[in-house]
Amino acid sequence: MREVGIVGVGHTKFGKMSGGTFSDLLSMAAIQALDDAGVKTGIGHGIDQVFVSTMGAGILNKQSGIASALVDYLNLRPAMAETIENGPASGASAIKLGYMAIASGMCDCVLVVGGEMMRVVSGWEGTDFVATMLHPEAEYNYGLTLPALAGLFTKLCMDKYGITEKDLAIVAVKNHENAMHNPVAHIQVVPNLYCITEDEDANVMNPYVAEPLRLYSVCPVSDGAAAVLLCAMDKADKFNKKPIKIAGIGQATDTHAVAEREVPTDLLAVRLAAQMAYKMAGLTAQDIDVAELHDAFQILEIVESEEVGFFKRGEGHIAARNGETKIGGKIPINPSGGLKAKGHPLGATGVSQVVEIVKQLRGEATGRQVEGAKTGLTVNFGGFGNNVVATILTKEES
Amino acid sequence: MEHKMYAYKCTSCGTLHHPKHYVCKKCGNRKFDEVPLEGEVTLVTYTKVYNLPEGYMKPYLGFGIVKFTNGLVVSGQLEVECPEIGMKLMATVGVVKEGIGADYYGFIFK
Repeated sequence: MREVGIVGVGHTKFGKMSGGTFSDLLSMAAIQALDDAGVKTGIGHGIDQVFVSTMGAGILNKQSGIASALVDYLNLRPAMAETIENGPASGASAIKLGYMAIASGMCDCVLVVGGEMMRVVSGWEGTDFVATMLHPEAEYNYGLTLPALAGLFTKLCMDKYGITEKDLAIVAVKNHENAMHNPVAHIQVVPNLYCITEDEDANVMNPYVAEPLRLYSVCPVSDGAAAVLLCAMDKADKFNKKPIKIAGIGQATDTHAVAEREVPTDLLAVRLAAQMAYKMAGLTAQDIDVAELHDAFQILEIVESEEVGFFKRGEGHIAARNGETKIGGKIPINPSGGLKAKGHPLGATGVSQVVEIVKQLRGEATGRQVEGAKTGLTVNFGGFGNNVVATILTKEES
Repeated sequence: MEHKMYAYKCTSCGTLHHPKHYVCKKCGNRKFDEVPLEGEVTLVTYTKVYNLPEGYMKPYLGFGIVKFTNGLVVSGQLEVECPEIGMKLMATVGVVKEGIGADYYGFIFK
């Protein structure tokens, strides 16, 4: 199998897009990635394949077959093109498919663009749309939503491991602090820990969304796009930037209905995906310098940090309390601000996580740089953990 | 008309499933018998949700995951004022979502 690297990254500002179409949003990220790699647009561009990851383009934006549209928008014809939908893990899935296309020898150069324009519908409609990935009879028809499942999961974890609402807030504040140094982050305000946990008005400023999850334990709804340009490592010398190698990819699935899981406090697919990625890369959790974990709800960052092997089960919240997951700590998690503060445009998120790790390994993450980072891990979490993709990137020694 | 909820019992090894699957998770068999799923349950976890999706005209809804005495664990709506993990409840069947033309029936734990 050929080795695969990333030679270009692009990322729009996450938040609310004002004006423009979904194709515009994707194009902005794509052009940034092409420019970053030094790819000339127009005839002779050399891109064999385009993958676009999105969950809601057909439903929210009334645009299906969006990859075909993007190829034409960018005049990359006749490049091959597919749209990839794997819930909130669509982005990492698209990168995995790009990896496979190059590793197999079918392609030399693949553009992956992930995006979502979710703020075109009401909050109620958006919540309903995201909930369509739940089990139709056992969950969706009851009115269960992603925040509801996260509330059920959080309650169990609190009961079993002693995690508190304040622990969730500590993780949120850490990610908001990191996002202050990320110009593409959706939210660039840091909540005060005392005000959202202990102040007499805390219940007003930080109300329950799905008990025991509060507003500041849940990610925002964002528009945004991110892009990466993948190439065969043996063809990488024709691009501007030195490649960051995709050293490992793992993916695993779990039961569709969350209640069917044997150990309800486990995120088994996270553990299995990470183990697969470590094995492929020939690395362990101790080798990872920086991680972007899927914190759509703050409980997920804590439990994922345990399932990928950074901390023992039941100790992730204690590590967060002790500052071990801050930049400068033992294992910095979500230096980008994570989904909590950078935002979570579903189809963009997996690509955005990889963009952040590429910037970290290149030494380009100004203001939030993890010094000396050479190896990074991403976890992109689909459904409520029923389809998870883990990716390991490494900086090759020169 | 009385509405019932069912467990799906593998005709080969007897393993119970809910919701329905096409293949038994234990032995790979593809045939199941429907067995009524009702009675006493133990509350495994719960939540109260305030941002409901479109179609619900309520300020909040309670949800729970419960364990039946036969070992099956399922989710449903929860109508208990002060829930506590481990408490005993009854699994009833009622309208969990009003639909156009037909309502959806499911578990309501009380």
